[in-house]
Amino acid sequence: MNGPLIVQSDKTLLLEVDHELADACRRAIAPFAELERAPEHIHTYRLTPLGLWNARAAGHDAEQVVDALVQYSRYPVPHALLVDVAETMSRYGRLTLTKHPAHGLVLSSTDRPVLEEILRSKKVQPLVGARIDPDSVVVHPSERGQIKQTLLKLGWPAEDLAGYVDGEAHPIELDESGWALRPYQAQAVEGFWHGGSGVVVLPCGAGKTLVGAGAMAQAKATTLILVTNTVSARQWKHELVKRTSLTEDEIGEYSGTKKEIRPVTIATYQVLTTKRKGVYPHLELFDSRDWGLIVYDEVHLLPAPVFKFTADLQARRRLGLTATLVREDGRESDVFSLIGPKRFDAPWKEIEAQGYIAPADCVEVRVDLTDSERLAYATAEAEEKYRFCATTDSKQRVTEALVRRHAGEQTLVIGQYIDQLDELGEHLDAPVIKGETSNAQREKLFDAFREGEISVLVVSKVANFSIDLPEATVAIQVSGTFGSRQEEAQRLGRVLRPKADGHEARFYSVVARDTIDQDFAAHRQRFLAEQGYAYRIMDAHELLTTGGDDLTAGEDDPAPA
Amino acid sequence: MTTATPRTLAEELRTRSDRGLAGLLRARPDLLNPVPGDLTQLATRAGTRASVVRAVERLDTFALQTAEALAIAPDPCPYPTLAALMAGDAGNAAVAAALPRAVAALRAQALVWGPDDRLRLVRTARELLTPSPARPSPTGLGPTVAEATAGMSPGRIQEILAAAGLPATHDPVSAVAALTGLFCDRVRMAALLDTAPAEAVAVLDKLLWGPPYGAVTDRPAAHLQWLLDRGLLLPAGARNVVLPREAALHLRAGRAHHTPEPVPPALDPATARDPKLVDNAAASQAFTALATVEELLKEWDLGGPPVLRAGGLSVRDLKRTAVALDTTEPLAAFWLELAYAAGLIASDGEADERYAATPAAEDWLQLPDHQRWAALVAAWLPATRTPGVVGTADAKGRALAALGPHLDRSPAPEVRHRVLTLLATLPPGTSVPERALLSRLRWERPLRAATPATQPPAASPPPQGPAQAAPPSTAADSAAGPAPTDDLRSRLAQWTLVEAELLGVTGRGALATHGRTLLRTTGDTGPSAETDTGPRAETDADASTIAGALTPLTPAEATATAVRAAALLAPLLPEPVDHVLLQADLTAVAPGPLRRPLAEALAVLADIESKGGATVYRFTPASVRRALDAGRSAAELQEFLTTHSRTPVPQPLAYLIDDVARKHGQLRVGAASAYVRCDDDALLSEILADRRAAALRLRRLAPTVLAAQTAPEQLLDGLRAMGYAPAAESAAGDVLVARADSYRTPPRTAPTPVPDGPPPPDRTLLEAAVRAIRAGDLAATAERKPAAAPADTAPPTPGALPRTTSAETLATMQAAVLTSSPVWIGYVNADGAASQRVIAPVRVEGGYVTAYDHTSDEVRTYPLHRITGVSELADDAV
Repeated sequence: MNGPLIVQSDKTLLLEVDHELADACRRAIAPFAELERAPEHIHTYRLTPLGLWNARAAGHDAEQVVDALVQYSRYPVPHALLVDVAETMSRYGRLTLTKHPAHGLVLSSTDRPVLEEILRSKKVQPLVGARIDPDSVVVHPSERGQIKQTLLKLGWPAEDLAGYVDGEAHPIELDESGWALRPYQAQAVEGFWHGGSGVVVLPCGAGKTLVGAGAMAQAKATTLILVTNTVSARQWKHELVKRTSLTEDEIGEYSGTKKEIRPVTIATYQVLTTKRKGVYPHLELFDSRDWGLIVYDEVHLLPAPVFKFTADLQARRRLGLTATLVREDGRESDVFSLIGPKRFDAPWKEIEAQGYIAPADCVEVRVDLTDSERLAYATAEAEEKYRFCATTDSKQRVTEALVRRHAGEQTLVIGQYIDQLDELGEHLDAPVIKGETSNAQREKLFDAFREGEISVLVVSKVANFSIDLPEATVAIQVSGTFGSRQEEAQRLGRVLRPKADGHEARFYSVVARDTIDQDFAAHRQRFLAEQGYAYRIMDAHELLTTGGDDLTAGEDDPAPA
Repeated sequence: MTTATPRTLAEELRTRSDRGLAGLLRARPDLLNPVPGDLTQLATRAGTRASVVRAVERLDTFALQTAEALAIAPDPCPYPTLAALMAGDAGNAAVAAALPRAVAALRAQALVWGPDDRLRLVRTARELLTPSPARPSPTGLGPTVAEATAGMSPGRIQEILAAAGLPATHDPVSAVAALTGLFCDRVRMAALLDTAPAEAVAVLDKLLWGPPYGAVTDRPAAHLQWLLDRGLLLPAGARNVVLPREAALHLRAGRAHHTPEPVPPALDPATARDPKLVDNAAASQAFTALATVEELLKEWDLGGPPVLRAGGLSVRDLKRTAVALDTTEPLAAFWLELAYAAGLIASDGEADERYAATPAAEDWLQLPDHQRWAALVAAWLPATRTPGVVGTADAKGRALAALGPHLDRSPAPEVRHRVLTLLATLPPGTSVPERALLSRLRWERPLRAATPATQPPAASPPPQGPAQAAPPSTAADSAAGPAPTDDLRSRLAQWTLVEAELLGVTGRGALATHGRTLLRTTGDTGPSAETDTGPRAETDADASTIAGALTPLTPAEATATAVRAAALLAPLLPEPVDHVLLQADLTAVAPGPLRRPLAEALAVLADIESKGGATVYRFTPASVRRALDAGRSAAELQEFLTTHSRTPVPQPLAYLIDDVARKHGQLRVGAASAYVRCDDDALLSEILADRRAAALRLRRLAPTVLAAQTAPEQLLDGLRAMGYAPAAESAAGDVLVARADSYRTPPRTAPTPVPDGPPPPDRTLLEAAVRAIRAGDLAATAERKPAAAPADTAPPTPGALPRTTSAETLATMQAAVLTSSPVWIGYVNADGAASQRVIAPVRVEGGYVTAYDHTSDEVRTYPLHRITGVSELADDAV
C-alpha cells in the first residue's frame, strides 16, 4: 500500500501529484470525482452525488469506482464511504425517461417502490400523466426538463434515454487548413457527442469556441448559439467563418440591434431575457427553426430565465461550454439536469503544460493607504467601503506606475468603477471601453489593440467575457465585482492565450491593504490558487523601488515584514 | 463406588469422576456459592428451582428440545423411547447422531441422571418443562389421557371406551390404561381415525402442533361431539377441550417437536476476503478509533458538559458531542461509553458536577498507538455498560442517558465474547451476514433469546382456571415462525458487530488477525475456543466445552489478550509522519498521521479542514493570530514551517504570517486603577522622577498621561502630599468637586427584642400536642405487649401475633412444606397492617412462601420478611 491517493472520510480525495502513479490515478478517478483544488503538490478531488451520477451517465459503475479508490489508495478506504458510493450510484438509472411508441414520453422504473415514492411527491404529481402499468407513467413531453430537475432534487436522477431529434440538417465541416483541433479539443467533442448532451469544462483561452465548432461539424444541423454579449457574438461568427465551411450568410446574429435567423444563429442572453409587458418576446427564436444543436457559451453565467427555457428544449442536443462549473448562485445541479452532465474537463495547469495556454505570473500588489485615506475608509458607510478602498488615489498611483513599468507591452487595465477607469484612462492617455461605448467603437479599439496601434486599454467589466485579445501580456485589475471567483478566472483568461514569443503573461491585482478590498481579493484568488495559479504578494513600495529584474525573480524574495 | 443403579441424583453424582463433577460446577457455577458440604447438598442445590431455571436457560436448542421431550416422556424414560420422541416414527439420522451428545450434555449439567435405560429428568426441570394449561410447552403437547381424565366420572370414561370400540372395564384406572393403550397403538388408532368425519380430522390438524386447547360451546357440533365421544378431545375446564398427549403423538408420527434442530444453523453465506485486506481495514479503523477518542478528550480538555441531576449526559450535549466528533448520536454514545469504560473520562464530583478527562487520560495520550488501542479494547471486552440502549427508555419509562445509570446489561460480555468466538471459527478474512450469526446465537440460547432480560422467569402464581383458551385457529407455527431479532441478546450481538468494526477488531465484517488473539487461547483456563467449530464439537461429552467457550473474559484476561492483540496490530498501524506539504493555496497536507508534538503545534497554527488518513490544514489570518497569541513569534513560525515542510514554504504563506505578525499586538490592553493627565510633559516627568511617587506605581503611557495602580483617592492624597494640587476627574472628563459626604448604611430594620423563654402556647397548639402525645403513648403500649410476652417456650397468647426469628421462620416453613402441615403465621402487609393467617406452605424459595391460605381460601405468596412469626398448629386446629 503506497498509492498516490488518500481517501478522507469527508469524501475528499487527496492526490499526491509527484507520485509516480499520479497520472494513472488521475485518469482512474477523473470520471467520478470533481477536481476541487489543484495546487502544486496535492490535488483535492471530491466525491459528490452529482459527480458519481455523472460517472454513471458516462457508463461507469460502482464497482469501477470502488476498484479505482481501493487500488490507488495509500490507506484502507473507509468502508462506510465505499458503501455510500455504491448506494449513491445505484440511485441513478432506477428511473429512466424513454420514448414509448404509443404513449410518447414515459418515465419507467426498475424499482417499483422508488416510482411510488416519487409519484407521491407533490412536485412530481403535476408533471406526470396516466399510469400505464405498475412500472411506468406518462410524462408530458413539455415537462421533460422540469421532471429531470425535480427528480434530481429528490435524489433519484432519471436517466434520459428518450433521445434527441436530429433537427434540420445543414452541412457544416471543419476547415482544418493550417490548423487542427488540439487533442483535448477533439476529446471534448468526442466526449460530448458520445454522451448526447452535456458540459465541456475548459480553461479560458483553451479554445472553447473550437469545441463548439467541432460539435457543430458532428451534428451537421442547424445550430443555435447562446452567448453572453454582442462582442462575443461577433467573435463567434468571425471564428466560425474562419474555421468551418460556413459562410457569413449562413450565420445570423440575434441581438439588440439585429434580428437575423439563419441556419446558424448566434443570440445573446440579454436579448432572450428581455421582458416586455410581462412576456419574453424573443422566445419564439427557440421555435423558429428545427434546431439540431444548441450551444450555451459560458454556462456558469446562464441567467435563470434561460434555464427555464432550456427545460423545454430537452429533445435537442445541448452543449454547455465553460471555464468553471462554479456558479456563484449554486445552481450547479440545474446545469446537470437541464444541460447535461459534465462530459469533459481538463485542469488549467495540464493544458498549460502542453503549451496551449501561456503560463502566467500572478502578483497581488498590496498598497498602503495614506493616513487620511485610512481615516476616510474607517468612517465610510458600510455599503460605500468597498467602492472607497477599491478606488483610492494610492491605488491609482501604483496602477499608473505598473503600466509605466510595462510600457511597450500590450497592457489591459480592468476595473469595476467607471469614474476610476475614466480617471485612469485620462492619466494613462489610454482609451476606455465601458458599457456606453458603442459596439462599432469597441471593435475598432479592439482591432487597434490587436494590431499594436494602442498598447494600453482600460476596460470595464463589459470586457470580462469572450473578448479575444491575443497579444495582451499584462493585465492589471484595480477593482472587481466584490469577491466573484469566476470573474477572476475570466480576467486571468485574458492574458493566458499563448504569446507569439512565448513570453510569460503577468497578472496584477492591486489591492488596498487592511481593507475589505484585501478580503475580497483573498476570496477571488482562492479559486486561482486552487487551480494552481498561486499569487505572490508584494508590497507596493517595494515593487516600485526594485527593478523589473527583481520582479521576475520575485519568487525567492523574502517577504517584507 | 457401587455398580448398582443409583436411586437418587446424589447417588449418581457420587459415582461420577472428579472431572465430571468439575465439569458440572464449571457449567453451573451458582452451585458453588457457597461451596456445598457434601454431594447430597450439591444434589439438593442442583435441584433447586432457581438453579435449574438458570441451567435450562443456558441450554442450546437441541439440548432443550431433548429435555422437553424427556419432560413429556414417562419417568424414567428409556433411551429408545426418547430417541423415538425426538426422531419420530420415520427416524431422523441427524437427530439420532446428535442425541447422545445432547443427553450427555444434560447429564453433565445434572439435569438428567440415571442409566440409559432409566433416564430421569431432575424433578424441578420436569416441573418447569412439563406442559400445563398456564405454561404451554414448546412441544405443543397437552396432558396425558390419565391427567386429562382425572376427576372424570367413571361412567363417562366407560362411555368413551364404548365409543372408541373398547370393551368395558371394571374400574376407571384400567379404563384409562385401555384408552391410553389404544391411542399409543399406531395400527388401531389409525383404524379409529379412518372412521372420523372430515371436519373432525381438520380440527385435530389444527390442534396437532399446539396449543392443544380449544373452546367448545355447550352444544358441540357433530364432528366435535364425535371426537369428544371417543376421548380424542377431553374436557379441560368448563368450555375448553384438550387434545390428549398420546393422541397428538400418534398424529405427529411420534415426534415431540415439529422441527427438531439437532445441528446449529450454519454460518453462511461466507464472503472470503484477502485476510491482509481485512487486517489493514481493521487497522485503519483502529487508528480512527484512537483519533476519535483523542478528539473527544481534546473537545473536553477545558471541561466537559455538566452531569444531569439523574446522572448521565443530556441529549443536547450528546448531540453536541456527536457534531464535534462528526458522527451520529448512537456512535457518539459508543465513543463516550468506551472512553468512560477505559477510565479516560469521568464526572469530576464537584458540587457543580461536570464531565472531564481523568488523569489517566493524560497517561493514555502519552502511550504508543497500539498500547492505547489495547487499553480501549481491554475495557470494551468485559464491559457490561451498553451504549446501544442510550436514547431508549427502560421498563420504568426513564430515558437512558449516555454515561448515565441503568446502562448495564449483564449478558453483554458473554454475547460479545460469543460473537467474536463465532467469527473466529470462520477461516481468516471471512465474514458472514449478521442474520446468520444471530440465528446461530439464538440456537445456542433459545430461552435467553426468547425472554426479555428485564423479566426474570420467576415462579408464576398458580393459574386461575385453564389459561387463555387459544382459539384452535391460531395453530402451531411458533416453531416455524420467523425468529425475532429485537430481543436483548440479538441486539447485543448486533451492537457487538458494529462496535467491533468501529474498534478495528474486525475489518469489513471479518475478524482480523489481531482480533483473533483477543479470545482465550488453549493455554488459558478454559478449553480451546478457537477449535470449537460448534458448541459440541468435542466427542468427549464434556458440556463444559460450551460453558468454556461462552464464559466471557475477566477484565484481567481481557487486558492480557488485548496486549497480545495490540502487539500484532502495531505494525499495521500507519507510521506517523514528521512532515507536511505546504501549498500556495494556504493549505498544508499531512500525508499520514502526524507525530504528536507536530500535530499539536500545527493544530494551533492552522485550522483542520479535512480528516482521515491524511489531514488537511488551512492557514487563515485567524489561525496565525491564534499561534501568535499562544506566544510564538513570526520568526519561530516560519522556522517551524521550514523545518517540517517537505516543500518550500510558499510565498503567500510566509507573507500571511508576517502580515498578521505586523498587526499583532499593535493595540495593547491593560488595567489601570487611575490616571494622571497633564498638558505639561515636564510636570509629569517631574512626578515620575520624584522618589515619593514610587508607592503610587505610576507608568508613563504617553507624554501627557500617567497610569497608576492605586485608587484615585489614594492617588489624589499621594499627589497632594507631594505638594501638587490635583483635581479629580469624572468619567466624562469634568472636574469633580470633592466634598465630605455623610456616610449611611443601606436600609436596615431595628433589632427585635429577644424574650427569656418561648411564648405561651395558644389553645390550638395545646390540643394538638395532647392528641399527639396520647396517640404516641397508645402506639408504644400496643407495641410493647407482644414483645413482653415470653419468646421461646410459652405458646403464643391467643390473639397476639406469633413472633419468631427469621431463621426459625424459615426452618418451620421448610419443615411444613415437607410435612405439608398447616402453620399459623403473623403477617404484616405492605401497608403495615398486621394480621394472622393459617397457611399450608407449598414451596419456599427466593424469599417467598407459596402457600394455601386457609384464612382467605386461596393460594398466595408471602414474602418471608413480612412474616413476623410462625407457629405450628395443634392437630385439630384445621
